[in-house]
Amino acid sequence: MSDRRGLHDLLAASAARTPHAPAVVGPTGSMSYRELDERADALAGLLSGQGIGKGDRVLIWSPKSANAIAAMQAVLRLGAIYVPVDPLTPPERFAAIARESGALALCAPGDLSARIPSPLRDRLACVDLDAAPASDAVPRTPVNTSVEPDDLAYILYTSGSTGTPKGVCISHRNALSFIDWAVAEFAPGPQDRFANHSAFSFDLSVLDLYAAFAVGAAVCPIPTEFAYAPERLVEFLHRERISVWYSVPSVLILMLRDGGLLDRPAPETLRALLFAGEPFPIGYVRTVATWCDARLLNLYGPTETNVCTFHEVRPADLARDLPVPIGRPCSGDRAWARRPDGSEAGPGEEGELVVSGPTVFAGYWGRQPQEGPYATGDRVKVRPDGSFDYLGRRDDMVKIRGHRIELGDVLAALYSHPGVAEAAVVAVGEGLDRSLAAFVIRDEGSSFGNVALRRHLADRLAPHMIPGDIRFVDQLPLNERGKVDLAALPTPLHVAQKVRG
Amino acid sequence: MTTQTREDISAELLTFIRESFLAGDPEGELEVDTPLLELGILNSLNTALLIAHIGERFGVQVPLNDVTAATFKSVRPLSEMVHEGLSRT
Repeated sequence: MSDRRGLHDLLAASAARTPHAPAVVGPTGSMSYRELDERADALAGLLSGQGIGKGDRVLIWSPKSANAIAAMQAVLRLGAIYVPVDPLTPPERFAAIARESGALALCAPGDLSARIPSPLRDRLACVDLDAAPASDAVPRTPVNTSVEPDDLAYILYTSGSTGTPKGVCISHRNALSFIDWAVAEFAPGPQDRFANHSAFSFDLSVLDLYAAFAVGAAVCPIPTEFAYAPERLVEFLHRERISVWYSVPSVLILMLRDGGLLDRPAPETLRALLFAGEPFPIGYVRTVATWCDARLLNLYGPTETNVCTFHEVRPADLARDLPVPIGRPCSGDRAWARRPDGSEAGPGEEGELVVSGPTVFAGYWGRQPQEGPYATGDRVKVRPDGSFDYLGRRDDMVKIRGHRIELGDVLAALYSHPGVAEAAVVAVGEGLDRSLAAFVIRDEGSSFGNVALRRHLADRLAPHMIPGDIRFVDQLPLNERGKVDLAALPTPLHVAQKVRG
Repeated sequence: MTTQTREDISAELLTFIRESFLAGDPEGELEVDTPLLELGILNSLNTALLIAHIGERFGVQVPLNDVTAATFKSVRPLSEMVHEGLSRT
């Protein structure tokens, strides 16, 4: 069908069909489809009153809440573009994103907007999500601006290699192509309950929210602080009778290692476990496959391509001693492995994964539009059946528990400290124990310590980007290629700790 | 068993965090109000190690409802929680 839908039409259509069905459920606040629909119109009215219209960028800086979800819908209904920012983002990084995106408005709870430096706050039209209007306080006028498929829906900021966050621009067509595929593949229905583990600033949350809205299902946002408490995640899975769970593998590993996931039988409601963002070690996949009967699906795709390949775990995969393959193209995309000479790699060969198709992003905000296929930077091996195994990165981007981090971003923050003479950052450890270690040579006469340097970093980096282990050294161990010599580094602190313990 | 004051518990936790996560903190910068989550001193891995240490050292099992950003914000609310845990036993 010729696609005139906007991403916001998914919720609007379900609200018209099943107004009383639960749309958002759980400890962060619950709303029926009608309530969410009305709240979205009310917030759209407020934003429109502030002069926000088609193509404008609106920051959403909020912990998970039904109001924050309504705000995203409100922005889309105006034909505007939302920019979700993690609530843990420090004010300076938030300001950089606000500047980069040229945002005109901000939706945030009062305590967060109070943290914004005043020149910036004065420039932004602010909508307080705590004081969101009762539906009758603002004249309720349905808002639904029509959009073109290539109009942008949202911008997700990711770590940039030079220390400036990079805005990945996603159009309505990009997001809808991915959601259409997900709905066709998992065939969710109104009775489904989607857990939403990932923050709204990460692309995993797009599936949780919009696949649910597309079919009139409920989405159950998991409060951010549960990330520190695997037992609470397990309890949430049972109490909310989750049927579709989507997270990075690290979270599932944490739940089964420290959260007692295996102590209770899987909830009968659970029918699909989706994971993405990093390789899932096969030993853990075997454990999960024994524990539950749910479909297990490995989804793959950088933020720039949404989900562009996937693989459903089969018994044959469990017999291999390799991570689950990333599989074959989906969402209407084409993906192939490109050899260094530009030719397409065949079965048994390796190359960089390249993707073209409807889910490939529009470009980075403020830069040239993306044209042609997108080179992911991920190295893959072509399997005999044409699907792909993931091998690793070809650059300095690392993944820590599914968070993507450019080491250059962390280095730039370290070097912005006036007392840092030289610094190196590496990712150490595997799987759940993977973390960043920084080695720093201080200027002569500088006497700042670990905590002081962390304060400097915390003003500039999201918490997950701050190295877990920071060491002051007299010289950096380099190998003959001038790269940090991993073998010559001191033992990471947490490893030493484990050995001692 | 000897009673442990909040100060004793704080000192004990500060020492553990310095040695385990701050390479000893020779500059002595860690204080009871230093924000642990915000500065990346506690990530999910380190939090698990800290909870295990609290269990071993004080015999206090951290209650599920206390595993929150508020409790783990800094050493002060952490020692408060341990102190309460000890007074319950």
